[in-house]
Amino acid sequence: MADDYPTMFHSEQMSLIQLYIPTEVAHDSTHELGELGNVQFKDLNPNVNPFQRSFVGEIRRTEDMARRIRFFTSQIEKEKDVIPVRPLYDSAPLVAVGPRAAQTIDELNVTLAEHETRLNQMNDSYKTLSERTRELVEARYVLRETAGFFEQAEGRHTEIRQSLDDSTAPLLQHDDRENQFSSSNVQFDLEFVAGTIDRARVPTFERVLWRVLRGNLYMNHIDIAEPFVDPSTGAETRKNVFIIFAHGDALLAKIRKISESMGATLYPIDSNADKRAESLREVTSRLEDLEVVLYNTGANRRSELLRIGENLSKWHDVVRKEKLIYETMNLFNYDARRKTLLAEGWCPTRDITTIQLALRHATEESGTSVVPILQELRTKKTPPTFNRTNKFTEGFQTIMDSYGIATYQEANPGLFAVVTFPFLFAVMFGDIGHGIIIAVAALYMILRERQWAKADLGEIVGQFFFGRYIILMMGIFSIYTGFMYNDIFSKALHLGHSGWDWPEGNVTGTITAVSNGHVYPFGLDPAWHEADNGLVFMNSYKMKMAVVLGVIHMTFALCMQVPNAIRFNRKTDIWTVFVPQMLFLQSIFGYLVICILYKWSIDWTKASTQPPSLLNMLISMVLSPGTIEPESQLYPGQGFVQVVLLLIAVVCVPWMLCTKPYLQWKELQKTHGQGYVGLGNDEDHAPLRASTDEHLEGEEEGNGRVIVEEADESEHHDFGEVVIHQVIHTIEFCLGCISHTASYLRLWALSLAHAQLSEVLWDMTMSKVEGLGGIIGIIAMIFVTVLWFVLTVAVLCIMEGLSAFLHAVRLHWVEANSKHYEGSGYVSAVPSFCLLAMYLC
Amino acid sequence: MEGLFFNVDNGFLEGIVRGYKAGILTQSHYSSLTQCETLEDFKTQLSATDYGNFLANEPSPISTTTIADKATQILVDQFNFIRSNAVEPLSKFLDYITYGYMIDNIVLLITGTLHERDTHELMERCHPLGVFDTMPALCVATNVEELYHSVLVETPLAPYFRDCLSAADLDDLNIEIVRNTVYKAYLEDFYDYCASLGGPTADVMQSTLAFEADRRTINITINSFDTDLSKEQRAKLFPAIGRLFPDGNNQLAKADEIEQVRVACENVTEYRAFFDTSISAQGNGGASNDYGGESGVAAMLEDRFFRQEVYLNKLAFLQQFQHGVFYSYMKLKEQEIRNLTWIAECIAQDARDRIQDFIPIF
Repeated sequence: MADDYPTMFHSEQMSLIQLYIPTEVAHDSTHELGELGNVQFKDLNPNVNPFQRSFVGEIRRTEDMARRIRFFTSQIEKEKDVIPVRPLYDSAPLVAVGPRAAQTIDELNVTLAEHETRLNQMNDSYKTLSERTRELVEARYVLRETAGFFEQAEGRHTEIRQSLDDSTAPLLQHDDRENQFSSSNVQFDLEFVAGTIDRARVPTFERVLWRVLRGNLYMNHIDIAEPFVDPSTGAETRKNVFIIFAHGDALLAKIRKISESMGATLYPIDSNADKRAESLREVTSRLEDLEVVLYNTGANRRSELLRIGENLSKWHDVVRKEKLIYETMNLFNYDARRKTLLAEGWCPTRDITTIQLALRHATEESGTSVVPILQELRTKKTPPTFNRTNKFTEGFQTIMDSYGIATYQEANPGLFAVVTFPFLFAVMFGDIGHGIIIAVAALYMILRERQWAKADLGEIVGQFFFGRYIILMMGIFSIYTGFMYNDIFSKALHLGHSGWDWPEGNVTGTITAVSNGHVYPFGLDPAWHEADNGLVFMNSYKMKMAVVLGVIHMTFALCMQVPNAIRFNRKTDIWTVFVPQMLFLQSIFGYLVICILYKWSIDWTKASTQPPSLLNMLISMVLSPGTIEPESQLYPGQGFVQVVLLLIAVVCVPWMLCTKPYLQWKELQKTHGQGYVGLGNDEDHAPLRASTDEHLEGEEEGNGRVIVEEADESEHHDFGEVVIHQVIHTIEFCLGCISHTASYLRLWALSLAHAQLSEVLWDMTMSKVEGLGGIIGIIAMIFVTVLWFVLTVAVLCIMEGLSAFLHAVRLHWVEANSKHYEGSGYVSAVPSFCLLAMYLC
Repeated sequence: MEGLFFNVDNGFLEGIVRGYKAGILTQSHYSSLTQCETLEDFKTQLSATDYGNFLANEPSPISTTTIADKATQILVDQFNFIRSNAVEPLSKFLDYITYGYMIDNIVLLITGTLHERDTHELMERCHPLGVFDTMPALCVATNVEELYHSVLVETPLAPYFRDCLSAADLDDLNIEIVRNTVYKAYLEDFYDYCASLGGPTADVMQSTLAFEADRRTINITINSFDTDLSKEQRAKLFPAIGRLFPDGNNQLAKADEIEQVRVACENVTEYRAFFDTSISAQGNGGASNDYGGESGVAAMLEDRFFRQEVYLNKLAFLQQFQHGVFYSYMKLKEQEIRNLTWIAECIAQDARDRIQDFIPIF
């Protein structure tokens, strides 16, 4: 087609290419293409199970490598002291292409495996060691805490005995026995079990024990202050020391069994205080030894992790690329002799040379002499839509793409959205102050672009960041419309001489400003801000402006049909669809716009009649054509003009309704008359040639190729369908014109709401403290200013901004796109390392 | 009416569970799974389903137990998510689902203790949904009464155990009787609870639970042939619900051989089919090996029961505004895990001829 120069107006021209890649260079070529990132490969073996494809073994190996890398990453992340991971741009690249590629990967695999085993060993020994340490620490605690229990119990023991003995003494009179008792050392004959248990389980443990032993126990437990950290998971557990006194071997056995099954650890404790002290010493010394060993092991492990951290991101990058390469290569097909791989895919036509260069480069790199062969195929399949975007247009294109991906080579509304979108937004958001705030916010994001692009910002901030250029444009346009409305934080600017003078002196009651002959140079005269009828004036002005802007926007959108019709070779569409639609729109709403402009241009103070209501004029134009009340006449000859316009509009309806189906029907008759059925009547300009070529190619390639075209979409034109489609389309358009024009009034409504809201905010906060003096006044001033600013940002800039954004999106999607946009394309998805790298960093 | 307010409390969870259900493997998944050569292939194939990358972090030679464990873990996570978002009466309903697992765990633990297995090893084998706080203490008990008074009294299962308290020491037969009595009580209680919920929940759950009860009844009967379980004792183990109750149950209580079981089941059309072909299969097998033939029948019956269960649980999804879907989802998913384990096991042991013996769900 005509223009080869790439524009944003159409999506990129795509070609179906076929690549014959010798197996030796397949890996490197795919790598090059991945770096380039502009070929969208088609799956040539759709019927093959994922695990039966050619390169499953390689993928599995890379997956295993990826698993190891994930393991390292998680280990590094778990480490408390931060281990530096050298960023990708800082590390020496690992060359995974060229003649030594396979070797490099093998070596990498071995290195990874070595690191993994070493790390695992260290982890294991670290774990056992820390397990032992933990046990010793627990033992120390148990010894220490139980000592407390014993002392307490001893004290109580004697007390109880003595009191008992006192009361019984007179009755039993066993003096000798008592003497014996008191003379002998207080010895413990109670058996006990001591250990540690998870704190969360203490209540259950106690309950179960109580129930099993029927209350025949005395249990004591105490918290261990410091938590125990599991070395492998990093989870903290808090434990309690417990000691249970009970009597009888059976009971003790039961207690032991229960404690063990509840996850408690038991420690042998002697009831003798000396022995306890001795074992405490022993435990402490062993603990010291162990801690030294543990420290060394930890340090070793850390240095190993540091070594890994040096290379981690490099490995990660290589492994991900390898995986992507093999996944892409799985889409390819082997030829009969399994010497070459066959790939098919879409790429932008003007990139073919780049691709060829890349392929040649890959061949040179890999040191072989066989060059991959690139061949362009002719096809009738619709290519994917591929819009080249840069960081500026990306956001705008995304707004349009989320409505629908443009049909291949259709006029792209994303281009115009760059201007119309922020403009319509700004009409609703017109305020210099708010505009500056959001423009500054966007500028900040743009300046921090490099850092932020790499960071993970979270969903909400990430979205704002993605739309930073949209926000910047919206801010700039809002400043502009703010000047037009002469609004800065609901106040007016006095940039020039106002055209109105307020009478001097103290006058009570209504005062009237007098025109002084000046014309305010730019935007709205600030005098209106203080006027009582300011709101009435603004309403009328903004409402009319909304209609004017709306009709212009719709007319423009309608015009987009023309390039589409030319591009898709549907010239009749211009006469059957575009012209009647345009006439219909212009004869009613275009006329309304002209009347609005005309009415604005007349000085009604000097006219003989009152200014007529344009709304009533439009209604009566349709309801009682030709009759104009003399007092509401806008211009002479109005009746006649309106009748003519109405007639044009009326004629347009059957025009839209009938001509297109009729022409198609005639076309159909003609082809039938010539004896063709079905095949020849599609709109492709070279149908016959293309299909024969296709056929020939299919023969040439033999069995190396799975069917490229499953079945050409049948172009069977059902005539009834065409008629129904046209009827719906016509009705939709005619009703749409009315409702869409009305819909543009949202420009007025939102702009009004925004202005009023910011005025209310000012009145409720700033104006309350304006007059206050003294310390209190200053404090109040600061406080209220902060409050006012926070509310301005939160409510007016963010909330109102989002709402205006939403309405601007709607105006583009519904009101404008419905006039021309087909949006039936499918997006072009390319395997690319650029994207990968973006996610990586 | 119940449809009017159902979604206020349960709409979200029903949506979730129906979404989960859409992830259940279909026939086409199974057919590609059965083509796998190795467990590695199996893993790759599974990663294309809703299971996703659940095995991605497992080091390379994976075992079938890992697959089963991980798959169960997914199910448990899903259940816990649902359970923690549920409110009455759904939460109570979900608790009822866990009681079944609790009973299994208790029986597993006391059997294991009886055979002097290591408690920790036993704990690991317990189903995670049936774990409760005081469970480890089960291992000290030597008879049911002690068991009841020391541990079970504070669990929700306590009422079920009340009927089978005895001071007799636990042995294998005893445990089996306890298990069946408790399960009978549990099924009846669950059945009553569903009935008290009324509406479509009752309709759906009662038919599912009735089948479950009948299955148990038939299984108990067949398994009690040639054991020293008296017929009165056997009759006590039969749940008092189900489509065979009461006539069929009475007949089954008196049955001495498989033929009588078949006659007892004649009255229910669906159950008749279970025996028709199995009898003929037994005829082909020959009468010489009577015991083997009977166990063959039992195995085949088991298979048919599973198929019927899957069928009933699938039916539950056709009914809106009821809790049955949660129960059915759990059961279907369990069947799916059994299937996966079966296929993985067949691949691991290279028993390709039996790989098709799983029970497809969708």
